[in-house]
Amino acid sequence: MTTTRREFLQTTAALAACTGLAPLAAPLRRERAAPALVAVYLRGGADFLNMLIPYRDPAYRAARPGIGLGEEDGVLPLDDQFALHPALAALRPLYQDKRLAPVICTGSPHPTRSHFEAQDFMEYAAPGNHGVREGWISRYLRATARPGASEFRAVALQANLPRALRGEFPALAVPEGKRRRNDVLEQFDSFYGGEGGAVSESGRRTIDILRRFHEIAAAAPAGKEAAYPDADLARRLKTIAGFIRAGAGLEVVGLDYDGWDHHAGQGGIGGRHAEMLRTLAESLAAFYRDLGPHADATLTLCMTEFGRTVRENGNDGTDHGRGGGMLLLGGGVRGGKVYGDWRGLEAKALIEGRDLPVTTDFRDVFASCLAGCFGFEPPRDFFPDYTPALLAAFRR
Amino acid sequence: MVRAAEPLTERERAIHALSRLAYGPRPGEVERVLALGVDRWVESQLAPAGIEDAAVERLLAGAPALAMTPAQLRAEFLEAERPENPTPEQRRELQRRKNEPRVQLLRSVLQRAVLSERQALEILTDLWRNHFNVSYTKGGPIEVFLPDWDRSVIRAHALGGFGALLAASAQHPAMLIYLDNAVSRRPATPAELAAIGRRVQRRTGSAERAEEEMELARQKGLNENYARELMELHTLGADNGYSQDDVVAVAEAFTGWTVRRNEGVFEFRNDMHVPGDKRVLGRVIPGDAADGAREGRAILELLAASAGTARFLARKLACRLIRDDPPPEAVEAGAAAYLESQGDIRALAGAIVASPAFWARDSFRAKFKTPFEFVVSALRATGAAVENPDAVLAALREMGQPIYLCDPPTGYADTAEAWLDPGVLAARWQFALDLAEGRIRGARVPPDFHADLQGVAPTDWWRRLAEKLLPAGCSESTQAALRAAGAEFLDAGPPGRRRQLAPRLLGLVLGSPEFQQQ
Repeated sequence: MTTTRREFLQTTAALAACTGLAPLAAPLRRERAAPALVAVYLRGGADFLNMLIPYRDPAYRAARPGIGLGEEDGVLPLDDQFALHPALAALRPLYQDKRLAPVICTGSPHPTRSHFEAQDFMEYAAPGNHGVREGWISRYLRATARPGASEFRAVALQANLPRALRGEFPALAVPEGKRRRNDVLEQFDSFYGGEGGAVSESGRRTIDILRRFHEIAAAAPAGKEAAYPDADLARRLKTIAGFIRAGAGLEVVGLDYDGWDHHAGQGGIGGRHAEMLRTLAESLAAFYRDLGPHADATLTLCMTEFGRTVRENGNDGTDHGRGGGMLLLGGGVRGGKVYGDWRGLEAKALIEGRDLPVTTDFRDVFASCLAGCFGFEPPRDFFPDYTPALLAAFRR
Repeated sequence: MVRAAEPLTERERAIHALSRLAYGPRPGEVERVLALGVDRWVESQLAPAGIEDAAVERLLAGAPALAMTPAQLRAEFLEAERPENPTPEQRRELQRRKNEPRVQLLRSVLQRAVLSERQALEILTDLWRNHFNVSYTKGGPIEVFLPDWDRSVIRAHALGGFGALLAASAQHPAMLIYLDNAVSRRPATPAELAAIGRRVQRRTGSAERAEEEMELARQKGLNENYARELMELHTLGADNGYSQDDVVAVAEAFTGWTVRRNEGVFEFRNDMHVPGDKRVLGRVIPGDAADGAREGRAILELLAASAGTARFLARKLACRLIRDDPPPEAVEAGAAAYLESQGDIRALAGAIVASPAFWARDSFRAKFKTPFEFVVSALRATGAAVENPDAVLAALREMGQPIYLCDPPTGYADTAEAWLDPGVLAARWQFALDLAEGRIRGARVPPDFHADLQGVAPTDWWRRLAEKLLPAGCSESTQAALRAAGAEFLDAGPPGRRRQLAPRLLGLVLGSPEFQQQ
């Protein structure tokens, strides 16, 4: 074990030297009481270049004469180079408080531009490897399974689990909607858990866990007056905030936010993309207010399967690209700084002259989140055939 | 104990056929299939034109939007005259009219699945609906095209030629809009840009506006969305021998395939088309200056005839019709039949149904029902009359599978892996009890459904209901749970509660582990 660990750290340091990322310095320890990771997946390939905007780069405006934004559009500068889209205004105070860290040019080494494949590779954290069918978050949960742990370690408030939570570890999918009466669970109590294989097992778990879930959600202490927008994402985050405040052992939450595939009608300062950014930003800002004392222990990771083409496509939209971006927010994040390697928008810096390069492998971000949030050191081959380099974006 | 190698009995074969080529048996249907002969039933299902379908025809009569063209729909429902200063009442009525085509379509999808005698056609229709996914979530103009899409593309070709299905999908406005091909075009030439500039300058007198318009026009161009999904999802499958260069070449070939404004019909516009030869999958598709649409048609033919497509489609059908991990021999048999028949879906489905794996005990009850399959099979098994499917449609939304609302182009999966998450069964249990106990508005189990319990001791009702709803039998633990639930119900309540016993037991059977599988 010691050898593995040393090797891991050495490799990490070597990689860090190449990539400009800081290695993991101190041994990892569990310090805080109840860290939680909220994994928000922006499905469809969100256009990160219009979230974190290189607002002073003439090449940006040249590539995006229609949907591009500049200072005259009220972009919100974070530094000399990058500005937030105005619709992300609610996130700016979090950046100023050093709680938000955007990571640029994240993505996959695999060149696929297919949503399905890219999401698959990313959520199983095994680019190009169709054989891995256990999500990266599920692998973490399994690796850290311990007797007596909360049954609510992993929850998704939707009808299907995101793939990152699929695997041997039984994560819980609770569709939001009308509250299920507990007597439905009573009725089926004796039907599940006997013979009947996977269906029976799944039902047994559903009953046991939903009972407690509803009890806890109902008894959750009230949070701060947080102004959540009127959106499905916000409602789900609100439930999660209550659950986290209740201290029920929730460790990982999977949340899908669909509809980012803006080939047409994406828009610039207004339009579909801007509306969705506003919902995202306002929901997250309200969530962090609502979390109260748990805000510092709760890490939110916003990710998407790939970035989009640097040039707009002339239908007021963008096509599937490569390098994208992620947002790290809250728990342990050393924010107020943009992370990742930016190589500009010159044609020679782009992949095939059209897409941002991938300068931070998504597995590095995932490993950093697990380390930064939970103090988890991934065992060898946690990411098949890959040793991640940790980002300096976390306080530990 | 039945051994894995033991062949299915004739009765089991009937149940299996009704679970794969139909949305489960209706009351008495297993016996009817047995009387006809299982093989004959299967054969007739794969030739649906010969099956009378009066219930569905009655249904269509009440849903005029389904038979209308997009232009008619627009005129009839969307462009209704708007009174000046409409009252709230009038405004609601206008909105209701606007929603009417969608309401009629969604209702028809559910009703047909429940009621149609052409069940195999419904199963294949559902498969292609997800294979060639389009969705209301795209918003905007797609609304008016989906009834026509469902009728003239998906349903019309569901058991016909795949090439025809592919070609129909490629030029239907619903697909052209959903995957953005309608706006994909070649970049403008300098001469065209100059002409745009002159026109705007003349109209507005502003050099600045002219410059802006020219810049916008300069940016318009190729959109790869359709080209990529055409190969990845519709024909070859992901990672099946095409490259990014192929995607670009196919996208170029399909430039100009668009939707004529106002009329809402397919048109090919040569002025949007990228001219010249296209190199696709190692072949040269010669550019056709006279009829550029020929290039796209040639690519569709090339893809439809490809062995990669044959295997991809065969696997898809085998997953649906056999089990989630179909044996390779069955897939190969399907692919061979597809190629031999030049893409006949009926031949492909027939080969898969004829494969030994289809009738193997390993495949019997091996599929976990999707939410749609669960809901439809419950409605069929109870003979429920669905007068207003809206509450049922809402339940489907809650289970994660609302009709024509799957946003990603992959469509809904039909494997257990995608649906068997802990937690989601609760939504099915709720639906099971609500349906059986009469709490789903617009969907009623007929009062005589329980008539056959007369003369049977209430303590034995559970057994009758289990036999009726779970013809393939159920485990001892389910039997014990039903028996106990019945006894407890009779003991606990006042005597008048007995009337509620049968519906309660019915709900429990529908929510049992066995009813989640097919």
